[in-house]
This record gives sequence, structure tokens and C-alpha cells, in this order.
Amino acid sequence: MSEFSTEPFFEIARRLEIRGETGWVAVLTPATDSSASLDQLQTELQSVLQKPARVIQLETSTFEELREALHQPDGDAVILSGGTGLTLEKWRSLDIMRSALERKGPVILWLSPGDVAHLIEHAPNIRSFIGGSIFLAGPDRGIMTETERQERLKELSQHFGFSGAEAVRKAQARELPHEPEFVEWLVLLGRGDLL
Amino acid sequence: MRLERARELAAALDLKTDRELTALRLGPPNQVLTQIRAYLQRRSDEKATRNNPYELLRIRKENGFAVLLLGPTIDRGSSSQHFHLDSGARLSLGLTLREVERGSQVVSYRYHFVFPDGQSPQYLRFDLLDAPHADSLAEPRCHLHPGIDDVRIPFSVHNPIEILDRIFFVLERATHESK
Repeated sequence: MSEFSTEPFFEIARRLEIRGETGWVAVLTPATDSSASLDQLQTELQSVLQKPARVIQLETSTFEELREALHQPDGDAVILSGGTGLTLEKWRSLDIMRSALERKGPVILWLSPGDVAHLIEHAPNIRSFIGGSIFLAGPDRGIMTETERQERLKELSQHFGFSGAEAVRKAQARELPHEPEFVEWLVLLGRGDLL
Repeated sequence: MRLERARELAAALDLKTDRELTALRLGPPNQVLTQIRAYLQRRSDEKATRNNPYELLRIRKENGFAVLLLGPTIDRGSSSQHFHLDSGARLSLGLTLREVERGSQVVSYRYHFVFPDGQSPQYLRFDLLDAPHADSLAEPRCHLHPGIDDVRIPFSVHNPIEILDRIFFVLERATHESK
């Protein structure tokens, strides 16, 4: 699967936003923590696209249920989740009903690596919707690295003229002011319990 | 006599702030990050001055707490870490959250808006302390610095996004129009 580019959810949502109302992409589920990642994707879509985002389970949806769910309403964002994997028969039937899947709002296929292979090999009609927009779920670059945390701690220590250990001692003695910078300092030290 | 009354009223205001904070429940920290980032991206898309909130806004979670940071903690002049506005103003912020079941609560915040060079006041800063100060009159828990470090004007508790509304749709608009 290395031929697919790795993109964080924010970038995937931005691509859909730039395309306008309609757009189809496929995202490979990460190997671990798939459920939490799906929640994060849903949140990112809602925030960036400024519209509701629903998750629909492909495995358990009948043809009629899927068609109705996609069109009532048809302007929100929909994540079609393949779950742990779909049968070849399911893929073939989905591909045949391609025109019934067309809708106004964006569609995101949330698929395991095996399902992406099935999509490519057995669902040419759906693949034509997606084109090259198949992505690996990438890490969120908004998460502060350990190096960045250390830089912040150093900045605080230099500005206030005492060490992190001293900040903890002052907090324990209730001598640390309640200003937001000191709150951030304690949390970055892992001592939010002192707040 | 009047000073005592002023202190009583200030203490009562801090109690009201505490009640409002207790009632203010946000989504989980990662959701708050996503919402603020998308908000800043929309504001950036609307402006001529380009910013990349995805690179600027950072989150760190430690032991049930989360800090969201944009720009330097201490403003020592314009930097590439700030969010820059068309008027020439710049913004940095810090937001601390406590994780609670299926969401988070606001612990403290600071939004530091620096006006373009030569403007008076030089900056406005919206602060929320994590606890009441012993002297609620001099230092209300939720306050605004009008460009003077030692002057703190009481301010009501706002959702983190609503403060950004005030910054972008009031402060920045007025600053830009006055140029």
C-alpha cells in the first residue's frame, strides 16, 4: 500500500472542502486504534466542512438502507465504513449500484487494506468516482513533540527565572500565581494534579 | 467603606465566573483542537495574510489535562509562530483543558492580541485564571488587560471560539478599518 500518499485527516478534509460539495475519497484504516481514528476523522470533517458527518456501516446495510441513508439527507458528509472487511459479493453489488450512491455531499470510504485491494480489483465503477484519491491515514502534526515540550519548558524557566522543579515546589506550597502561563507550565511538566 | 463593598462585589463576580465555568462543557481536547484549527483556517482563507494553523496550533496531553498553544508563551515581538492578521496585528494563545467524561472543561486561557506598531493600546489580552485570586478586585478571575500588565478589567467567561470571534470580528476589523 506504499503507493498511496499519507495524509492527516485535516488535509483530507481540506481537499474535500476545496473540491466543493461533491467528492469521493478512500482512506485506509490504521492498523491500531481504528475506532478512535474514525471518531477523529468524523470530527475533522465536521469542523473543516462545517456540516454534519455520519458514519454508515457498509457490512450491515442492505441496498435499500444504504440508498436511503445516503439521500436522506444528501448534503452532509458520509463515511462509509467497511468495518473488518467486506465480501467480494458485497463489493460487486455495491459497484453495480454506483449510480444509486451518487449524492450531493462528500463520501469517504473508510477501508481496511484488504478492502482497498478489493475496491481496486472488483469495483471499477466506484473506483472511477475515487480516482487517485486513496490515502493512508497519517498522524496529526498538531501533536506537540517532546522536543517542542522541552523548548516550551526552557522558555518558561528562562522567562520567570526559576526551574520547573521550583515551579512544582511553589505550586505545592500554594505560592505559584494562578496566571495561565503557570498553569500551562505545570501541565507540560505532567503536574496538572497541582492545579 | 466603599472599598469594602467593591471587594464584595468583585468576589461575587468571581463566584459567578466559577458557576459559568462549571456549566461550560466542551468536547474532548482533540475535538477542541480540530475546531479551533478549522476556525483559524477559515479566517486565514478569508484574509490576504496567509497563515498555516495546522502547523501553528499544538496540543499536548498530560495526565488528564491538555494544553493548546499557538505562538510563543511570552510575546517578545513578531515571530513566525504567531497568527498574523491583515492589519499587521498578531495573535498568540494558550488554552488549558481538564479532561472529563466524553469532554473537557476549561481550566485557564490567555489570548494575546498585539496591535500593529504605533497603535495605542499596544495590546489586549483576555485571561482566565485557574482559580480566584486573593484580591478579586485587583485581579478578577476572568479579565482583560487593556495594554497595561497591572490593569485587569473584569470580563465574562467565553467559549474559546467566541473569544476568537471578538478578536477577528471586532478587534481586527476595527484595527484594519482605522489604517
